[in-house]
Amino acid sequence: MDLAIKDVQRHVGKFVATILGVGLLMAIVLIMNGIFQGNTSDGVWLIDNTATDLWVVEYRRGGPFNEQSRIPEDAWKSVAATPGVAQASPFIIYAVQREAAGRGQQFTIIGYDVFGGLGGPGPLVAGRSINWAHYETVVDMKLGLKLGDSIQLGVHDYSVVGLTKGAVDSGGNPLLYLSLPDAQEVLYQQDNRAHEATLAADRKRLEGAGYTPAQAAKLLPLLSGGSGTISAVLVRLAHGADARKVGRHIEDWLYFNVYTTQQERDLMLAGKLKKMTAILGLFRVLLVIVSLVIIALLIYVLTVEKIKTIATLKLMGAANWVIVRLILEQSVVLTLASFAFAWALVNLTHDRFPRTLVLLPNETLITFGVFFVGGMLASLVGIIHALRTPPSLALGG
Amino acid sequence: MRCVRRRRWRSGADMAILQVEGLSKIFGHGETAVTALRNVSFSVECGELMALLGPSGSGKSTLLLCISLILEPTTGRIVMNEQTVYDNAWMGVDERRFRRENIGFIFQGHNLIPFLSARDNIAVALEINGVSGRAARQRAGELLDFLELGHRAKALPANLSGGEQQRVAIGRALANSPPLIFADEPTASLDTGRGTKVMELLKRIARERQTAVIAVTHDVRMIEGFDTVWHMEDGQMVKE
Repeated sequence: MDLAIKDVQRHVGKFVATILGVGLLMAIVLIMNGIFQGNTSDGVWLIDNTATDLWVVEYRRGGPFNEQSRIPEDAWKSVAATPGVAQASPFIIYAVQREAAGRGQQFTIIGYDVFGGLGGPGPLVAGRSINWAHYETVVDMKLGLKLGDSIQLGVHDYSVVGLTKGAVDSGGNPLLYLSLPDAQEVLYQQDNRAHEATLAADRKRLEGAGYTPAQAAKLLPLLSGGSGTISAVLVRLAHGADARKVGRHIEDWLYFNVYTTQQERDLMLAGKLKKMTAILGLFRVLLVIVSLVIIALLIYVLTVEKIKTIATLKLMGAANWVIVRLILEQSVVLTLASFAFAWALVNLTHDRFPRTLVLLPNETLITFGVFFVGGMLASLVGIIHALRTPPSLALGG
Repeated sequence: MRCVRRRRWRSGADMAILQVEGLSKIFGHGETAVTALRNVSFSVECGELMALLGPSGSGKSTLLLCISLILEPTTGRIVMNEQTVYDNAWMGVDERRFRRENIGFIFQGHNLIPFLSARDNIAVALEINGVSGRAARQRAGELLDFLELGHRAKALPANLSGGEQQRVAIGRALANSPPLIFADEPTASLDTGRGTKVMELLKRIARERQTAVIAVTHDVRMIEGFDTVWHMEDGQMVKE
């Protein structure tokens, strides 16, 4: 007779509730695992998925992801002329908070040379890439837009012609691709009143410096804020070119900072992602510990609830293995069922999470192992308690 | 290791299923020492129904624990079913195996396993003793019929009345046909009618199965049903 199963059958409601509770706890740990890996995965996604060998950014800056980088747009031509460079393309990236798909959203705009330049979107899940110099965009599905939708950025509407999946910035926000001029316009264009105010201030400064109103009017366009800057130049090396040599050449002659893709990745991991990774890692460890403690307490309580039964069995002459099996089997059932529920729940819902969840099979397996071993160790406490229970406890009222 | 059943119960030392000689139990040492049992001697024969009366703290429970091989006495001798289990020290008996083969227990609070049906509560005692599942359930069913509880075989303890629960507990105690049954306040939680029925059942078991029954009780209503009545006071036993 399997006493553990008989007990479960008798108290199905209680066991199901316990399994759901423990399962939710385990699901939170699995979600935390997913967020932890997703944080790193999102953080380096753009670096890993931009087909480039070198990132040329503003001198002595760690851009374009960890800090802002502004270099003249024309710089890409100088970079392209550097020995060992097969292709160089302008690239601009900036985060915005705008209305999209009917709600305020944070996303990142990427501007690139849509006519064969580097830095464009990777494989599309629907539609096509940008074919026109203006008013077309490729967006990530996470933004909630569909093919043919339009999104207003500044004074213009942009038509969605292509969709990506999983294209996110280091914060997990979706990417929106525009042609370089459009991206620059969205970034730098002011509305009419702000533009008028800037012109008035510039005019006042020129007149204050002794220029006549007519002279000032002629000079004003020259003073207007430059929209001709970019964040970086992306470089594809010629076959056989040495990345370090090419990079040093650009640094020495053009006064820019140059990072290889691996260096850019390292910068991201050691900079923007470091603290968040540490915090998430700490939370993950704490969650596992708290979960194990709760599971241990539950198994202990399940044992204590049966202590009179256990004492009676011992008084009747039951061997120790009968008692051990009763506790251990319930612990195994509880751990397995809870983890199965957690796994199913997380796998069914992970697409709906606002952050990317990366569920690595080996990590899931390790987590299961930790819970299983933890559950077994926890049941040891119950087993020790049960084996120490004197049979005399069964006597008396 | 069974009581010799062919012998009908009549008083006689040669038929004793349990012999206790000069049993003492002292808790603690020195000035704080408490003597729970003082040179207790008695014997119980096959088929005998023996009551053990006494106020709280008189040593009844200590005696029951000692002869159940749960608590080690300080001195004395215990012979059970022709086997010396204690002679100023344990005699190397596997106490759990000895208990499940020789002693059945009936508790004041019935102590049925709450998640097992009436039949399974009896069957579990058999399975613990190595009887296979099907045979155990069949034997449990027979015992329930004997106890006139066959129709309640699938009922859980929570759905049984106090008297029914106690009868299932008696069935469990009888499961392995032990020569000796220890009953701790078997009628205390029952009303007079149900208590009387339980006593009649115990008497029937003692007579028909030649099983010796030792019952610790406060229940003076049931004294008349016993063959021998012992009083305990301050750790000493006096036969009535």
